[in-house]
Amino acid sequence: MNHSTRVYESVFEMLPGEENPTPLVRINRLNPEPAFTLYAKLEWMNPFGSVKDRAAWAMLRDLEARGEIGGLRGIVEPTSGNTGISLAAMARARGYHIRAVVPNRVPREKKILLKIAGAELDVVSDELCPAPGLGDGSINLAKTHARAQAAKYAMPNQYENEKNVEAHFRTTGPEIWRQTEGRITHLFVSLGTCGTVTGTSRFLRQKNPAIKVIAVQPSEGHDVPGLRNVAQLASCKLFDPTLIDEILEIDFRLAYTRALELCQNEGLLAGPSCGLILEGALRIVQRDKNGLGVMIFPDNVFKYATNMAKHLPGLSSGLEP
Amino acid sequence: MATYAHPEVLVETDWVLANLGKPGIKLVEIDVDTKAYDAGHIPGAVGFNWQTQLQDPVRRDIISQDAFEQLVGGAGISPSDTVILYGDNNNWFAAYGFWLFKIYGHKDVRLMNGGRVKWLNEKDKPLTTEVPKVTPVPYKVTEVHLELRAMLPQVFEAQKGGWNLVDVRSPDEFTGKVIAPPGMTETAQRGGHIPGAKSVPWSTAVNPDGTFKSADELRRIYLQEKGVDPTRPTIAYCRIGERSSHTWFVLKYLLGIENVKNYDGSWTEYGNLVGAPIEKG
Repeated sequence: MNHSTRVYESVFEMLPGEENPTPLVRINRLNPEPAFTLYAKLEWMNPFGSVKDRAAWAMLRDLEARGEIGGLRGIVEPTSGNTGISLAAMARARGYHIRAVVPNRVPREKKILLKIAGAELDVVSDELCPAPGLGDGSINLAKTHARAQAAKYAMPNQYENEKNVEAHFRTTGPEIWRQTEGRITHLFVSLGTCGTVTGTSRFLRQKNPAIKVIAVQPSEGHDVPGLRNVAQLASCKLFDPTLIDEILEIDFRLAYTRALELCQNEGLLAGPSCGLILEGALRIVQRDKNGLGVMIFPDNVFKYATNMAKHLPGLSSGLEP
Repeated sequence: MATYAHPEVLVETDWVLANLGKPGIKLVEIDVDTKAYDAGHIPGAVGFNWQTQLQDPVRRDIISQDAFEQLVGGAGISPSDTVILYGDNNNWFAAYGFWLFKIYGHKDVRLMNGGRVKWLNEKDKPLTTEVPKVTPVPYKVTEVHLELRAMLPQVFEAQKGGWNLVDVRSPDEFTGKVIAPPGMTETAQRGGHIPGAKSVPWSTAVNPDGTFKSADELRRIYLQEKGVDPTRPTIAYCRIGERSSHTWFVLKYLLGIENVKNYDGSWTEYGNLVGAPIEKG
């Protein structure tokens, strides 16, 4: 495999690592502080389209290595979409069947993409009046499939699987360290399974304990696919608060307005989770004035066109003749 | 430490495991998500669908006595059997089923404490997709307890004073900020609550593992903090009557309040009435 000519014998050779990192792109027009350099790490440049390639690949390889899948036994996984899309494409390319369990609030584009990628789809109703500890309906239904039909399904369970953390410790962290030549001062991330923040911070903090890790989370009752706020973190066993300096809670609607600004001012076709991270980063940039920050941008905007139009009403007008 | 007023109506998951397959013990799963039973259930459990089997298919009502006899007898359950109910969402619809079994006079019906999620999260508890083969038995209802159900006239009566009205919905539904949780098809024309109602969300009664809080905690929350007077008749309501079944169970069987009614018409009836008084905020 040759990353300079980019000729590959299989799509899996394109998966990221220190020698083949996802790009860091500097934010220019939207960053008001000249002494604070801000980079976006474009995770949508991964071969299956999002940051979730890293965890999905690590979890799939682990199941293979332990002989947990193969023959009649495939995969069942709860997902808000991207892990499922990565896992489905990877699993099908390696000959395994996969069932994805998604909450109904997941954008329609992602549900269709899951089917296109070859997953059998279960859609569960959203929590209507949640109680603490009740757990996410999609996680519970996936667990039910895995327990009731153990001969048919293995469940990687991204919310509890240490391989999710390890993937970022092994790839995302070292990539950022090398790409910034060790000069990174601030890391900005969103919280979903918490695999990204835990794995990346763990690596970077080993290199330089002074690096500030700032997590952003959407306000309660939010509609930012893939993210969780603190009230929802109970189901994330990978959440390690000791690796995070600050958690900023941000009105989720800003995820959409900031994503649009990225699209229209930086040429970065970024999705709403990136918008939320940018908003958090800009608050810190204006406070701290100096530094080199890296924002991990999980996904681009294409799967969220419907959600963008829902929250930015101007986008829905003038679409008919 | 105080115990529940009627501890005999609750069984633990370990008890269910130890009694799987024993004659005279019948398991019934009732879920909000009607797909959950098919995905996997406790071995030997039958599944009831709240949408199609626990409501009258034509008019808005609970199922008739005749339909109840057909459903329960058809599931191989005799009047003398011990029925164990469990389900998702901390037993919301299992509690609704419990209320229905009590209305139609079934003697020994119990809830599995913690419901489906507790069973699922315990590694030693089996799940299966196999639907049990049941032999229908004759089931005859011999007594009906409609005093467990609040109808609209009693809801107006309760507003005159001397009753407890307990609204178990989320705070935003109570204040009228939202009419129903997002995405619900059953809704109302107006948001708010019944005048005089106290807001005690259903989830106040449960621990993070899905089980009910202790008798002492429940007493403190409902009687002391929220001011529910146990000597007064009480009505619990929500949106369609399932979350309020859960609180009805807590008030009547765990706290031992004698006269508690579940108002299954709930906000989707009351919030649609022309001219009925509503409080907001």
